[in-house]
Amino acid sequence: MSDNGHTQSGVLYGMAIDLDKCTGCMACSVACQAENNISFRPDESNKLRSITWMEVYYLDNGAEHPDYRFSYLPRPCMHCNAPHHSPCTFVCPVNATVRDEATGIVGHIYPRCIGCRYCMVACPYHARDFNWWDPAWPEPMEQMLSPKVSTRMRGVVEKCSFCSHRLNAARSKAYLDGLEMSEVTYTPACVEACPSQAIAFGNLLDEHSEVARLAKSERAFRLLSKLNTEPKVYYLSRHPWLHNLANASL
Amino acid sequence: MKFGRRAFLQFAAGAVGGTLLSPLPWKLADDSAIWSQNWSWRPSPERGLVSKVPSTCLFCDGGCGIQVHLVNKKNAIYIEGNAANPVNQGGVCPLAASGCQFLYAPYRVSQPLKQTKARGDASGFQPISWEQAIGEVGAALGKMRTSGNSQGLAGISGRPRSSMFHLWRQFFSAYGSPNLFQMPSHADSLELACMLTLGHEATPAFALERASYVLSFGANLLEGWGAPARMQSVFGQWRQERAGIAQPKIVQIEPRLSLTATKADEWIAVKPGTQCALALGIAHVMIKNHLYDDFFMTSQVVGFEDWIDAGGNTRQGFKSLVMQNYAPAQVAEWTGVAAARIEEIAGQFAAQEYAVAIWGEDGGKTPDNIYSDLSFLALNLLKGNMQPGGMVSLVPPVPLEVLPEVQMDQWAYRGLQQPRLDLTQTRQLPLPGNGLYAFLDTINRGGSPYSVEMLMIYEANPVYSLAENRLIKEALGKISSVVTFTSYMDETALQADLILPNHMALERYDDVIGLPGVPYAYYAVSRPVLPPRLQTKHTGDVILALAATIGGTVKGSLPWKNFEAFLQSRVKGLAAAGTGALAGKPGVQPWALQSGQAPKSNYKNPKDLWNKLTSGLCWYGPPVDALQQINTASGKYELACVSLQNRGVNVEDAAVYLPHFAPLTPSGDAQAFPLLMMGYRRLNISSEYLANPPFMTKTLWDFLLKGNDLFVEIHPETAKSLGLKQGDRATLTTPEGEVKVRIRIFAGAHPGTVCVVHGLGHTAYDEYIQDKGININDIIEVQMDPITGMGTVWATRAQLARA
Amino acid sequence: MKEEKRSTSGRTMLGGLFFIAGLIVALIVGWVVFPKVLYSQKTQPMNFSHAAHEDSACEDCHYFLPDGSYSGTPGIENCRQCHEEPMTDSEQERILVEEYIQKDREIPWLVYGWQPDNVYFSHAPHQAAELECVQCHRDVTADEEKLPILYENRWTGYSKSTMKMVECEKCHAERGASNACQTCHK
Repeated sequence: MSDNGHTQSGVLYGMAIDLDKCTGCMACSVACQAENNISFRPDESNKLRSITWMEVYYLDNGAEHPDYRFSYLPRPCMHCNAPHHSPCTFVCPVNATVRDEATGIVGHIYPRCIGCRYCMVACPYHARDFNWWDPAWPEPMEQMLSPKVSTRMRGVVEKCSFCSHRLNAARSKAYLDGLEMSEVTYTPACVEACPSQAIAFGNLLDEHSEVARLAKSERAFRLLSKLNTEPKVYYLSRHPWLHNLANASL
Repeated sequence: MKFGRRAFLQFAAGAVGGTLLSPLPWKLADDSAIWSQNWSWRPSPERGLVSKVPSTCLFCDGGCGIQVHLVNKKNAIYIEGNAANPVNQGGVCPLAASGCQFLYAPYRVSQPLKQTKARGDASGFQPISWEQAIGEVGAALGKMRTSGNSQGLAGISGRPRSSMFHLWRQFFSAYGSPNLFQMPSHADSLELACMLTLGHEATPAFALERASYVLSFGANLLEGWGAPARMQSVFGQWRQERAGIAQPKIVQIEPRLSLTATKADEWIAVKPGTQCALALGIAHVMIKNHLYDDFFMTSQVVGFEDWIDAGGNTRQGFKSLVMQNYAPAQVAEWTGVAAARIEEIAGQFAAQEYAVAIWGEDGGKTPDNIYSDLSFLALNLLKGNMQPGGMVSLVPPVPLEVLPEVQMDQWAYRGLQQPRLDLTQTRQLPLPGNGLYAFLDTINRGGSPYSVEMLMIYEANPVYSLAENRLIKEALGKISSVVTFTSYMDETALQADLILPNHMALERYDDVIGLPGVPYAYYAVSRPVLPPRLQTKHTGDVILALAATIGGTVKGSLPWKNFEAFLQSRVKGLAAAGTGALAGKPGVQPWALQSGQAPKSNYKNPKDLWNKLTSGLCWYGPPVDALQQINTASGKYELACVSLQNRGVNVEDAAVYLPHFAPLTPSGDAQAFPLLMMGYRRLNISSEYLANPPFMTKTLWDFLLKGNDLFVEIHPETAKSLGLKQGDRATLTTPEGEVKVRIRIFAGAHPGTVCVVHGLGHTAYDEYIQDKGININDIIEVQMDPITGMGTVWATRAQLARA
Repeated sequence: MKEEKRSTSGRTMLGGLFFIAGLIVALIVGWVVFPKVLYSQKTQPMNFSHAAHEDSACEDCHYFLPDGSYSGTPGIENCRQCHEEPMTDSEQERILVEEYIQKDREIPWLVYGWQPDNVYFSHAPHQAAELECVQCHRDVTADEEKLPILYENRWTGYSKSTMKMVECEKCHAERGASNACQTCHK
């Protein structure tokens, strides 16, 4: 362990979302739902009860016509890299949500979760959702559930996993091909789906990775960086008003 | 000795002790923990090996390559983009990403259904066998034909860019009916604009991949315009940071701050419906400042300068008309854009080598006013974009095997002699195209010289998605038999007498022929990625079966064993043409091809081409220069549409020949309806044949849809003058009807307009879709273009009042 | 008085007997009856003898796919490669050919180590770590006439031989493999 509480494994997965490229088409959010067996209900318009891992926010510059502009902001889990703990992992009483120091991924294990929702309160990004109901799919849509991700039960919290099951799959292949685990790259569903290639994903510690390059861009910023949660999701925009909004609350 | 209370307690104490010393409590405690991991009331996904099957997406005309993930080769769980496909390059739109929800939709039609009660009564549908269904339709068709009313068969087809449409056309011709129409699209009016100017039906294509300046007259580039995923991918490339290279400038000209507008570099908020005037104003500045190629405009274009008509009269040319009528000061008055600004934009547009003007409001879903299309084409012509290698070319035809000549018997011959029913009130249309609205109008006013006995509707849901859908509802009431070929129990299927369910998009062979607005030639095949789930039948096979039932020349004109064989036969022609190649690896850039420069073919023979097409590779070919083929009488680009004089148009007014600003006025009293209602579309709301899947509905914001309430957008000033506040409930009234909505005050709305999203307010399907919001098509008004008979849509007069 | 005293001690002795009886009954129930009652015995849909397939290599049926996943329990396609037609006159082979291969039905094998949905397990890293199959699975090379009975927990639905998390964690800790949650959970 180094003094900031992280082990030095050489891998830290992170994401960079270019808001200048993002068109708010929602393909990321939909691909995420399909990939991760996210449940839905007939009425999804109560956003406090709706489960969305990749939530796309609507932000505007507050100006009057014709200077008014808006933008979209896709928000996965930030997988906060703050020393020792992410806000959510710090408060979890049962170790259901824990950050893997070897990859930087903040996982959440559903059967372990007791549904206390402390993590939801702690998360400044509203990245976590609670299962208020048992998930139910209309007949015969259960057939399209993916075996790669387990379905959740009523009473537990869930959130974006950076598609860690895809990392596991990529590692399996790497074992078979005899590669180094630190060299393993993978693509989460949202990144893969994005039709304007607005999302980059990879190892932030690898200087040559696109995500590391973008994270250092002049256009880069992070959400609520004043809280020192050290999100591993970076945003890029050429608009100053978006940079300013990033430090207001979502 | 008796077993008293005390003994019992002692026994119990022993039992408790013994139990604690046994594994029972500890095992049960542990079991209860792991039992809770497997709540039986939470579904457990079927496990198995995951495979990927490549195919082509059919959910819109965009032609994306997809890979469908299957578990145990039978459950489709996920759709990703095919990275080897040059159109979407691995990305997908939200509709494709939701694709499996259509496969497993609870509202799919599982077998042929026959209405036994009144139309529209869902409880009246009785399942029948395919033999009975085809037998009954075949018998009815045969009877209509031999009684001399083959022309009484009409058709409305979705998916016009597919071999299925060619098969339908073959069937209608062989059967003897001229009344086959398509669902409306912008391509309808563009084809006619090209017909007038170039002498042949084509649609323009835009080399956006290499644009440096994009002047978009309301083209919703990011909301479904053209091939949606191609536009997303092009936009991503535009916004790619490259050291030392400037990003292209995008100027969006439209009244509402659309997604494209907010993402553009500049948004010019013109008054509704005046984009065409602005284009001509820009043309004025370019002509005034001599920012065009004089030699080209005089030597290869008819009607730029004044010209002489067939009667020997001198007619005003475009140059003079534009100089006379479209001075910036005048255009500023129409459009609300300052004269200096018009001069500035014109200067920028003319100065950039790779500047292009594009247009097509409503995501290309409805035809435009023909004079608007002509004006935007004229602006590009003036810019020099239509010269060889220019920014504007034509969507290249795909050299598929031509269908065999239709064999005609006396019935077919007689039927095809009958007038097609897209008649306007007084006379035949000057420029007939896909006149679906004119057809509906003829039926509704009883103006048909013969009776329409049967209407076939294929992969379309006009009762919901046709603008001013009242027209189709009325028309259905006047047609004795309605047969739909659809996979879903949609609004139109509910109004049918017979539903012959088609395989859904992932279960069938189908194809995509060319892409809207895309300069390179494109062909892709969709193949069944899994066996049909239900008792459905490929509509292509149903057509062939119907032809066989009717027999004779109809059967002889459709000689294929099944649809797959038909498609294979078409691909043979493609292979023989040898003008294209297959894209099988990421990085292929068909847009880099020059006109006439065919890529090296990379397939051995027709069989090999077919095998590769069905394994997810797409075929591409070079672009076609706009002026490469000109079939006009003059052999030049006819900026003045000379051919109109032979088409019965009143040519008194010189402007009739020329591109000009001719807005079609919405009906209704401007006093009673002081606002203009305009529709808009979003990529995460499916607004046409397919209903919004639950995945996409989840992504809708609560300021767009809350519960079942739809929010309409109005400008803050408009809200103030109407006394409406954020979230208020209101009644939205148009001459077509009224609906209940809620108010969203939106600074991006144009003052005096009400903006309503397309795609909500379904009455069919299930609880995940039904009754959410309102359907704008119920209250929208269509203005019929007097030249083409096409229904154009730009605005409807409206009134909002607090409810 | 005396009478009373005797009767008290008699009661104590008798009470002890009741206590012991209760203890013994509970111990029998807990140790003998409960495990029998807790598990139902399930037999495989048909018999399969690993010994009879000694002419094949393990990898013919249990193999890795190029994407790193493991074929696990072989599907009917595997069987078909040799058993399109019966090779012997064994009754079990007749069932295989007639009931499954010809009808194109998968054999609903019961899996002895069935893990719940939230568990992710991949054979690839365990093979890379050079673990022997028998460290987790029964030795099928031993002469085995009939497939073993599967003991299914009536309450949880788990097989008795399903490996518990503690065993995974222990081995991971000993070998320095990651014990991060999402290494084994999905």
